[in-house]
Formats: sequence, C-alpha cells, structure tokens
Amino acid sequence: MVRSFLLAAALAAAAPLAQAQGTVKIAILGPMAFVQGENHWAGAEMARDEINKGGGIQVGGRKLQVELARIDTNEIQSVPDATNAMERAIARDKADFLVGGFRSEAVLAMQEIAMDNKKLFLGAGAAHSKLGINVEANYERYKYWFRVTPVKDVDLVRQSFAALGEVAAQIRKQLGKESPKVAILAEKAVWVEGIVAAAQKNLPAMKMEVVGLWQPSAVATDVTAELAAIDRSGADIVFTLLSGPVGIVVGRQMGERNMKAIAFGINVEAQKDGFWQATASKGNYVSTLETIAEVEITPKTVPFVKAFKERFKKSPTYNAGTYDAIMLLREAIEKAGTTDADKLVPVLEKTVFTGITGVVEFDKRHDPVWGPGKVTGLAVQWQDGEKVTFWPPQVKGARPFRMPAAK
Amino acid sequence: MARSAGVVIQMLQDILVTGLVNGGVYALLAIGFSLVFGVARIVNIAHTAFYMLAAYCFYTLLVTAKLNVLLAALIAIAAVTALAALCYRLVIEPVRSHESAVLIATIALGLIFQELMLVAFGGNFLGIPSAIDGVASVLGVSIPYQRLLILVVAAAALAATWFVLYRTRLGLAIRATANDLEVANLMGMNVNRVAMVAVALSVALAAVAGVVVAPVFVVDPLMWLAPLVTMLAIVVLGGLGSLKGSLIGALIIGYVEAITVFALPQGAFLKGAVALSIMVVVLLVRPEGLFGVAFEEER
Amino acid sequence: MRNPLAYAARWGWVNLKNEVLVLPSRAFVLAWVSAVLVLPLVWPDPYILRIVTLTCLFAIFAASWDLLAGYAGQVSFGHALFFGAGAYTSGLASLKLGWSPWVTVWLGVAFAAVLGLVVGFLCLRLRGAYLSLATLAFPLIATGLLFAFPGFSGGELGVSGLRSVAPTRIGNYYVAAIAMLAAVFGLWKLADSKFGLVLHAIRDDEVAARASGINTPRYKLVVFAISAAVAGLAGALFAHYIRVAGPSALEVALSFQVVIWGVFGGVATIYGPVAAVFILYPLTEWLGSFKAFGELRLLAFAVIVLAVLLFMPRGITPWVRDKIETKCPRCKQRNGAWRAQCRLCGAPLREILASRTA
Repeated sequence: MVRSFLLAAALAAAAPLAQAQGTVKIAILGPMAFVQGENHWAGAEMARDEINKGGGIQVGGRKLQVELARIDTNEIQSVPDATNAMERAIARDKADFLVGGFRSEAVLAMQEIAMDNKKLFLGAGAAHSKLGINVEANYERYKYWFRVTPVKDVDLVRQSFAALGEVAAQIRKQLGKESPKVAILAEKAVWVEGIVAAAQKNLPAMKMEVVGLWQPSAVATDVTAELAAIDRSGADIVFTLLSGPVGIVVGRQMGERNMKAIAFGINVEAQKDGFWQATASKGNYVSTLETIAEVEITPKTVPFVKAFKERFKKSPTYNAGTYDAIMLLREAIEKAGTTDADKLVPVLEKTVFTGITGVVEFDKRHDPVWGPGKVTGLAVQWQDGEKVTFWPPQVKGARPFRMPAAK
Repeated sequence: MARSAGVVIQMLQDILVTGLVNGGVYALLAIGFSLVFGVARIVNIAHTAFYMLAAYCFYTLLVTAKLNVLLAALIAIAAVTALAALCYRLVIEPVRSHESAVLIATIALGLIFQELMLVAFGGNFLGIPSAIDGVASVLGVSIPYQRLLILVVAAAALAATWFVLYRTRLGLAIRATANDLEVANLMGMNVNRVAMVAVALSVALAAVAGVVVAPVFVVDPLMWLAPLVTMLAIVVLGGLGSLKGSLIGALIIGYVEAITVFALPQGAFLKGAVALSIMVVVLLVRPEGLFGVAFEEER
Repeated sequence: MRNPLAYAARWGWVNLKNEVLVLPSRAFVLAWVSAVLVLPLVWPDPYILRIVTLTCLFAIFAASWDLLAGYAGQVSFGHALFFGAGAYTSGLASLKLGWSPWVTVWLGVAFAAVLGLVVGFLCLRLRGAYLSLATLAFPLIATGLLFAFPGFSGGELGVSGLRSVAPTRIGNYYVAAIAMLAAVFGLWKLADSKFGLVLHAIRDDEVAARASGINTPRYKLVVFAISAAVAGLAGALFAHYIRVAGPSALEVALSFQVVIWGVFGGVATIYGPVAAVFILYPLTEWLGSFKAFGELRLLAFAVIVLAVLLFMPRGITPWVRDKIETKCPRCKQRNGAWRAQCRLCGAPLREILASRTA
C-alpha cells in the first residue's frame, strides 16, 4: 500500500496528472458538427479502443489507458470559439495531449495556446505551411507542434504534377492530342498560389498548354460563368485547386453541362463519401488527390479502412489521421518511457512511424516528409458512384483512370 | 489586349445568357423580400433561411421519401409558407411595434433554422437531382435545362405576383397598406392580417426559389448567407419596396457578376465585391435606390 | 478630521452610501466593476480568464455599436468592418514594422476612425434600412480586397504570430478589462453629454435637428469616427489577444452578432449591450462545454435571444431596471423599487404606482 503510494507519487512527480490516474488524456479538437470533426473523432475512437484492448500504453512497467476528450472547436464558424475550446481542453479537461484541428486560420490561433502551455499538439487537418514554418523560425516555442497529416501545401504541388502527368498521358493516348489544353480553376486562396505559379511555369515543359486561370471564391455557389468560359477555351483538362464547397459545385455543374474536359487536381469535397450524393450523381470522372483509400499504401491501411467502414458505415477522410497521431504518440511514449512533452519532442523527431497514410517521418519543420516510401498520397477518380484509386499506379488496389466516352 | 472580333462576340453571348439566367434566380428572392419590406416595413433577414428550409424540405421529400417531383415541390412550398405564417404570428407580431426587436427576431429565426438543419442533417453538402437533365444551346451558349426551368418559373412566379398585386382585391389591400399603413388601418383594414398575407406570399416566392434553384446549387445549412447578401444588395440597389426595382436590380447584379467573371477570370472571386461596390455607387447618386420612393421621414 | 486618510475614507463611505447604494443599478455597476477588477486575483483559472478577456473585448465592440446605432440611429450592419480594420492594421503594423503592440493598437484605432469617416461620408444621405443594408456591404468589399492582395494580407489565413500586448495571462486580462472599463465609461459619459443629446435629436428627427441649427452631417461623421475608433480598439486588442488577424474578423456573422448583443441588452443605453455581452458570451461558451450539448450552443443562443425578446422587446436592461427601480413622477429621479417616497423630493411613489396598475 505504502509502496504503491510512493511509486505513484514518484511517477506523479515525473508527469503530474496522467500517470497518477493511470490514464493518458488526449483531447480531440475538431468541428464536431461537420464531417471533418466526425472523422477526427472516429479515427481517435478507433485508436483508443485498439490501444486499450491491447492493455494500454506501456510506460515504465505500468499500462496507461487512453482516455479521449471530445472538444468541439466550432472552428468553421468561429475562430475565437476554437481558441476557447483549446484553452478549455488544457485547463478544464486537463488534457495531456492535443490532436486535431482543421481550418488553418483557427489552427494557427490554437497553436499559440498549445505552445503557451507547452503541450504537444499533433495536427490532423490543416495543410498550411505557416504552421511548420513557425517551428523552424522559433524552435524553442513551437517545437511541441507536429503535423501528422496531411502533407504540407508545397508537397501537394509535386504530388499533383506527378498525377497530372498520368492524366495527360491518358488524354494523349485516347484523344491523340499532343499537347492537351489545361484550364486552371483555383479558388482564391493563399494555399493555391504556389501551385498555380508552378503549374503555369512547368506545364508547358510537360507538354501541356495552359489556356487560362479562373479564380472563384472558395464558397461560390455558382460557377456557370467560369465553366462557360472554360468550355470556350477548348480545355481538355480542368486543373482544379478547390478546398471549399465550390468543389461540389464545380463537379456538379461540369457534369450538368456535359463538359468534355475532365476535372483533376485537388478537390477536398470530392474526397468525401458524400460527394456523389452532393453532386446528384453528376460528378462522374471528377478526380482529386487523396490521402487515404482502401488500397495498400502500407500494410496497415486496408485493415484500418475496412474496420472503419464496418464500424462507422462510411469511408474515412484524411481527418481520421487522428488515428495515426494517437498511434504515433503511443509509440513515442513507449520509447521515451514518459509522457513528458519536452522528452517526447526529440523522440518524435527521430521516429519513423508506419501509419495508415504512409511512413511518417518528420522534417525540421515537424512536417511529414513527402516522397516515395514515405508519404506520397494518392489520386482518386469518381467512377459511377465509386471512388477509385488510380495513382500511384503501382499501389496494390489501384485501377486505371477512365475518360468520359467521346461525344 | 488584341482580341479577335469572334472571341469578343462569343464573350458577349456568354455574358448575355449567363447574366440573364442568374438574374432570374436573384429576382425570385429579391422580389419577395422587397414585398415584405414594402408592406410591413420588416427587414426579414430570415428570408433566405426560408429558401434554405424549402430546399431541405424538397430534398427530404424527393430523395429520402422518393416522392414525385411535382408533388414534393408543392408540399415543400406549402409547408414552408405555412411555417412562415406561423413564425410571423408567434414571433414577429408580438414585437411588431419595436423595430429593432423585429430585426433581431428575424436574425434569430435564421440562426435557429440554420442550426436545426445542422443538427438534423449535419454539416454535409447534399445534392438534389435536377427535374430535367440535359443541355440546351441558346445563342451558341450551352445552358442546362434546369437553368432554363428556373428562368421560366421565375417569370411565371413574377407574373403571378404581379397579377395578385394589381388585379385582385387582396393585392389592392397589400398595396394600400404599403402606401400608407396608418390610413389603411383607419379605413378598416386589418393591417396585421395583410402583413401576414404579404409575409406568406413573399416566403412562398422564396420557397419556389429554394425548390427550383437548389438543384443547381448545393444544399447545406449555411447556404442562406451568400444569397442573403446578394439579395439585400439587389433590393437596396433597386429601391426598397419597389418590385420593378428588384427585378431590374437582380438583372444588373446578374450581369455585373457575369461581366466580372468573363472579363477578369482571375478576379472571379471578386464578383460579389464588385456587385456590392456597384450598389454603393448607385446609393451615392440616388440614396433611395433606382426605383425607390424617397418616402418622407416618419415623424 | 485632521487625518486625511480618515477624511477620505469617510468621504468615500458617505458617497457610497448616499450616491451608489441608494440605487440598485448603481450598486450593481459597482459590484460588476469590482468583480471584473478582482477576478484574476481570486480565480486565476486560465480558461475563465480567457472567456472574460474575450467578453471584455466584445463588450467594447458592442458598446461602440450602440453609440452609432442606438444614440445616433445609424443602425450599422457592417460594424465588423471597423473591428477587422483595427485587427488587421495593428496586426500588420506590429508584424511588418516590428513595432510594439502598445503603439500599433493606436494605429489600428486611427485607421478604423478614418474608415469610419469614409463610411460615414458615403452613407450621409442614406437612412433607415438603406443605411443598414448599405453598411452590410462594406466588410464584404473589404474582404474581397484582402483576398485580392494576399501577399500583403495573408489571404484566407490572415496574419498570424502576432505578439500579445502583455507578457502574462493576467496582464492581458487587465489590458482588456481596463480598456473595456475606460471605453464603456467614456462612451457612457459621451452619450450622457450634450453631444449625446444632439445624437438623440438626430435619431428622432433629423430634419428638426437641422432646422434648429445643428450641423447634422458633421455630427454624423464624428459619431461614425468615434464609434469606428472604439470598435477598432476592440479589434486591435482582439487580434493581439488571439494572435491572429484573419478574415473571420470581418464576417457577416460578427456584424450580426453585435446587432444581437445591442438589441438584446437594450439600445441607446451603452450599458445594455455591455450587459448583453457579459450575459450571452459566457453563457454560450458554458453551453458549449457540455459534451452532449456543445454542438447545439448556437441554437440555444438563438432560442434564448428570441424568447427573451418576446418578453422584453426593448431589451433586457431596460426591463430589469424598470423592475428594480421606479421613476419619481414629480422630479424624475430614479428610486429603488422598495421605496415608498422619492429619496429627493419626498413625493409618494407607491400610491401612484398602485393607482396606475389598478
């Protein structure tokens, strides 16, 4: 009795709350009323149940159970709400670790609070590179931030060009066009700027002709005028860079107009299961980069996606990367033998972790390294109501890209 | 900027057709709003929230309950109109004498509807299938049939509104109340009932818009905010309370947006801002809008 | 009597007893001010401090709206423009020029005031609903401009990594609290002065005001500038507090929010909107902290606002004040509701009240 008390006291001194209670408390922060938050939470629940079923996290002879706190950040509607939620997670729920986040503007504000409190914050949603640049610029303050998923916006450029080459090859083969015409349809946002500039510079070298750039608002509800103009330009490919609901509108209205051009690029809405329904089945042939699908990215991917579908009756989006974040956390905690954030940072920096979206290894900005054998991402296409992975072609489970029948 | 004449003509065709179709959508929303303001002096912020409700109702009946398109549309319009009359009775009428309270009540109603839909359907985007598929070619511009349907419905709804207002006794009562509330009251009209009828009529127009427009857009709980702003700009531009003004304002905004996108593809995101700037400029020249009556200050 | 300390204490007590405690509303304000000032000393919980800090900042914002909308009758639907202008100006200046927030906040205030003059000038000839709906457009046009120059404004992300005004949590709290008290009492004094009287006149009858020799355009411009400046102060402090100045500071939702606060609390009072923020903001946050219920907070918020307005269409503070205080029918002084006689002129209060209700 006395001995166990002493042991508990000793452990408590090392890492105050978590070990005294025999649990690790992880706050899952996300917009819980929206698909993003649902996936944050679902991915986290999968990780919690898997860890707890296996006995917990092994720390110095003790098994710690994972306890989750569901924190609704409401970040899509309000940035101050998100900061309040972060403070509440730390001060009220006494969370040891923070996982989640989605809207970059809100995550930047939440990052500050987490760093003030020197809490590990594992991002599973926001793609903006500024989050990582902070780490490089002011390491001592921002070192507690790690982005588990997705890859940062800059790496999306490489990923999209690689897949775009694949699409262009198809067009050359099937339509016999030497240099396919590309219309760039990018929402007006900072994250697309680098990609647009790179596209305008590199596409001619990849034997593609850029016929124009259209930049609607990310929340536009109607792109008729844009699409009419693109139709006129005779484009074969519409290179989309869309993160907002405009992605659905583009998919649907292209289908409605029977446009012969096909949409490829980044279309976050097209990554969701609901895309097919949202476009009223008009979104055929729309393709987009993707982070996770039921293909063998790593040996863990297919079992995870299968179990996820079984449990939640829908496919995971990249926000379910909270699963990877928590699994990664477990690995780091077991390796370091402590839940102390300062000791975990160097361990996480050195960790090479095989997750569901690839092999996660952090660079000096605490971003996952992009590249073959690390995290590459996927490209998927909607084919008759089914989301089919077509890139990288060598991944097990990939199927060929399809072109609309010539009309 | 040397462009060949052919390209310019093509662009003009595009602008002409796209602007007209989008203007028709806007007109449907703006006229109802203008009507309520004219008759009851209510700035009904929840107007487009009813449009959203109609879209959700239509979605549920059509996609979930698998009803016939026409039936689903009629039920959705009737249900939302009835709800609006009820809301008017329970929420707006008790605070009618307090102008600011009415304003907040409508904002709160809009928020309540938004959050209720968020709870019921989640933040997901939903799609409603078009009533008619396919594309028509007008002046060499391809327009999906659904958009032409919107144009036709908008025209029919406007004609019907015009008929009710100018050819029936009810319309006479509405116009009389709009003209001078106190005198109408003194003449023995039940101005509260007239206001309720006007609210119902206006929401019915919004519901019609929701039912025919929703299939070309995406249905989500926040879908009422963007058209709200455009609609307010149109109504102010055309002159509050003036139906003719709303129609012309809608066409102006529709064309301004189309011109922005075609002439400045990289500035397509600015179409809303440009439309609002046009509104501000018009107000600078004519503070009562294009066709508004410079009604005397109420003293 | 020789001891100055004892004299001061005695003077303070007499004033407290005779001027403050006689009226429940004054006693309440005193209790509220003291509570705001001592909170971090008795309850330094970081979460509570954050909520109250934000409450203070939004209270400044709501009070600034009330001066413009409540007193001058210029019901702005685009007040977020000034909030956002303060936030962006201060944020950009401190980030790009490296100046201390203590300086840049005032730049934000100044720029917001300039924008206030511009908007006021553009809206001089508009009134009523036209003015409300036209002002709604300005923040949206500004958002368009911000997106058009992302290199400067940071586009959809805004500017992040701003410095806080004070190094500690409690320091930040006091900056917000003292700024709030100063702004609110300043606005209240202003609204109570001759200037406020002129604003009342303009709101109630602009033509009559002009006919009595008041230069109404000038007054309207000044009130736009003052209101915008105070809103800019709130925005600038807000940006440095959450350390991000983003497009969400210009959202339509924020403009509507301040209208809700203003009307819920009671317009043309200054203290009404402040009270509304102090009630509604922590309340929604508290509702949001319930696990099962948190996602419904906005719904609960809207329902509460609607329900309260149905019973108190003039807002919550005028209603409460009428319950706890009565106005003397003879000398128009306010009295605690428990008094039978006016505390100044001795006129009976009860009977009159009874006969009125009978």
